[in-house]
Amino acid sequence: MTSTSAKRSRPAPKQAIQAKLFHSLNIIGLILMTTSGLQIYNANPVFGGRGGWPFPDLFLLGGGLANGRHWHFAAMWLFSLNLLGYGVYILLTRRWKQRFASSADLKALKASQNEKRKTYAWHRLVYTAIIPILLLAILSGMGMYKPAQFPWIVDLFGSWQALRVVHFITVPTVVVFSLAHSLLGLKVGTMRLVRSIFW
Amino acid sequence: MDLLQPRHRLLRRRFLQLSGLSGISLVLGGCGSNLFAETVNDAFEPLNQRVETLLFKPQTPVPEFPPSAIEPEALLINSFGETPRLNPATFRLVIDGEVNNPLSLSMDEIRRMPLTSMIIRHVCVEGWAAIVQWGGVRLRDLVQLVQPKNSARYVYFQSADGYSESWDLDSVLHPQTLMAYQKNDRPLPVDNGAPLRLASPVKLGYKQSKWVTRITLVNELMPSKGYWEDRGYEWYAGL
Repeated sequence: MTSTSAKRSRPAPKQAIQAKLFHSLNIIGLILMTTSGLQIYNANPVFGGRGGWPFPDLFLLGGGLANGRHWHFAAMWLFSLNLLGYGVYILLTRRWKQRFASSADLKALKASQNEKRKTYAWHRLVYTAIIPILLLAILSGMGMYKPAQFPWIVDLFGSWQALRVVHFITVPTVVVFSLAHSLLGLKVGTMRLVRSIFW
Repeated sequence: MDLLQPRHRLLRRRFLQLSGLSGISLVLGGCGSNLFAETVNDAFEPLNQRVETLLFKPQTPVPEFPPSAIEPEALLINSFGETPRLNPATFRLVIDGEVNNPLSLSMDEIRRMPLTSMIIRHVCVEGWAAIVQWGGVRLRDLVQLVQPKNSARYVYFQSADGYSESWDLDSVLHPQTLMAYQKNDRPLPVDNGAPLRLASPVKLGYKQSKWVTRITLVNELMPSKGYWEDRGYEWYAGL
């Protein structure tokens, strides 16, 4: 009884169809990119080279280096074009002004006494931070895919090994931030908010 | 019995969940995935190859490195079988196919041609890379000698160990694609492909055949595109 009255008093959060589409396609793209990426990683682990520790089959996609690469260089289109489309969408609709962490959120984190406002600010901060991580993954990936055409990208990171480390580190970083994003999302708006971004 | 039933049902639900998950992992991780990956590749490789060709600048040299940047230990030895021992004194490089003037050259004749030295990054498909100095003759100079016919579009490389590769003509004619006989300012070691190997900053390592004995210009690619390509690896493999 209490739950139905709560539902009546507060409308369920609504998300734009474009945001839902981006969010779901981004999850699919990320899963394909990370699992095929770890498959490629295993051919020569970034840490330790041929003697390095490989990832177990559970996290891999493709069953071998050749197929891992096929998946990686197919899913890169889904992953990057989806992000590009979303970028154009939030720029054209000026949503980037309200949808991401701002100085108001930073101020709330420093000064607010309201715990709910603080959690909300953390949530905005965390999901906002995922965007530059995704862009970093694409930039470092382009440097590794085409080092002869974009040598400046490799130079930007200092060395080939540094480039590999950065490209790899985007994986655990995005996993940690996605977990934090999910948990904070639950805390901010319960399952109602989580559901609203999917359907 | 009544007490056991919900638990039983729970187990069954869990079992169904697990079998669903393992079904997915069978498709994605098992032998099903190879079939799936090949389908994905059939759909995307033509697109990727077009983009790669578009990005490639056939006449623009890739920036090189200073001698201090050379990483002598980083270049790992990869080969699929035995290391062939060729006698440089009797070695001949044959260049034939769609050409007007097929040739067979000795190492002495090749060494008398202009020497090009470059310090470039050698990138392996496995993910590692090494900065290496290669010295040798520009492949475009050799191609010029044999006078290719206008119809020639691809080039096959045969190696003494049975390895084979095929390249697009644009990458073959790139100013930094060499038939190398020097590595890090010394004569090329046998493990690295002596007496003569391909070296280039514009292709992945597996395209850079070692122990090359025959270069053949062709109009069309044959069903066999190269050792690793025939085993599922990407053909263009440009950097």
